[in-house]
Amino acid sequence: MGKLSLQHVSKSYGSNYVLQDVSFHVDEGEFVSIVGPSGSGKSTLFQLIGGLYAPDNGDIMLDGKRVNNSRGHISYMPQSPALFPWRTILQNVLLSSEIAGQKDSTKAKELIEKAGLGGYEQAYPNQLSGGMKQRVAFIRSLNSPQSIICLDEPFSALDEFTRFEMQEWLLTIWEEYRKSILFITHNIDEALYLSDRILILSEKPASVKKEIIVPFTRPRAEDILLTEQFMKLKREIHHDLRG
Amino acid sequence: MRAIIKKGWRPVSVIILLLTIWEIAGRVFDIPAWLLPVPTQIWDEAIHGWMHYSSHILSTIRLAFSGYVIGIIVGLTVAILLFRLPVLQEAFYPLLILSQNIPIIVLAPLLVIWFGFGMMPKIIIIVLVCFFPVTIAALDGFRQTDRDMLHYLKMTGATNRQIFWKLQWPYALPSIFSGLKIAGTYSVMGAVISEWLGANKGIGVYMTLASSSFKTDRVFVAIAVIMILSLSFFAVIALLEKWVLKWQQQGGDSSSG
Repeated sequence: MGKLSLQHVSKSYGSNYVLQDVSFHVDEGEFVSIVGPSGSGKSTLFQLIGGLYAPDNGDIMLDGKRVNNSRGHISYMPQSPALFPWRTILQNVLLSSEIAGQKDSTKAKELIEKAGLGGYEQAYPNQLSGGMKQRVAFIRSLNSPQSIICLDEPFSALDEFTRFEMQEWLLTIWEEYRKSILFITHNIDEALYLSDRILILSEKPASVKKEIIVPFTRPRAEDILLTEQFMKLKREIHHDLRG
Repeated sequence: MRAIIKKGWRPVSVIILLLTIWEIAGRVFDIPAWLLPVPTQIWDEAIHGWMHYSSHILSTIRLAFSGYVIGIIVGLTVAILLFRLPVLQEAFYPLLILSQNIPIIVLAPLLVIWFGFGMMPKIIIIVLVCFFPVTIAALDGFRQTDRDMLHYLKMTGATNRQIFWKLQWPYALPSIFSGLKIAGTYSVMGAVISEWLGANKGIGVYMTLASSSFKTDRVFVAIAVIMILSLSFFAVIALLEKWVLKWQQQGGDSSSG
């Protein structure tokens, strides 16, 4: 069954069919990426999982419970860091747990330290660089009590170099905490480097077209990016996305 | 301190220049004091007549401040209600604007007829001029809430109440403070106007008495006092703003993203 599972989920806005019969699951402690052409309804998918809207058909199950159109079951990291400028870094990290009603600043401080942001607890977001803000946004989602994190193209606004640094950083910190992750991206390299499994969405109306199990072992080294196997998988995904 | 001098010398020298021209023109053309006193005469009156008007100042400050505080409370309450309940907003927004189209000068005598010469009609006038900028500024601030942050909170499962107090309210604070500053200067004007109606104390009373007895220098003293009061109100609120919104000043030069 898996931790989070979507069963035959469909969604349309009027005559605009966005998702059609989407089914997949994410296991405990698994890192699953979703890639798809732009405008293929990836964001809609997250909004359904987040409970902002109800699916037209199908069920969204979390830990065996049906969570259609019910909020507060996932933690979330958006595309832009969306840090609150009037809160210090520590207060920002505490935000997600505050909303869930359980504030634990010891854990938050520990996470800030681990994220390499020690000494910035009392700083404000406008004093941080883009990559640092994204780190804060990630540990904010990590600090909330929900056991599955949804990441919506979190590194797409960063430059190439910072992006790679962030991917490595994400892996190290995730390997320590091992929460289930559902990761949306349009970057094939990123999906291959980070995830256990990759789901490829089709054009609109989107459904899961193909599932690829990423064979690389963890912890992942940087040089897998240049191996023949990596290139082969990349070509395969690229081909799937095109045709 | 040095920054203030560096920035402030230009406007200050312009004011000094204007006062000097006024002084010289008044003396050269020999304008009678009841028509237009020169700055030095006004200054003399301000110094020597201090005991004539000091109690009036206190009374005006008290009136303006109470009206202002009530005005803010009314303004913010109205803004929050209208924002949280869109049905109310549709129904009452036009009324809100209409309330500002009634000339205070016309309304004031009516209020005296209904409520007499006590504090009540005066407070009502100040509240009427103060609440509007606060309400509009707050509503604008609430509406402009950052969409990414809002989306984040919704996805995380925040309740509407949490969304309001953790995001919309703090997000609107800079906007609310501009409303508070405008209302602050209005409150002094409102207080003076309401005192004209009939009061036994206040700068407005001092001013009416002075002008009806052609003590023009005292009228100018009153004008100066009103200006200084308005400015001090403004300055106090600006300081408060700086303190509450201290996160805005830190860093700042890094690109917002």
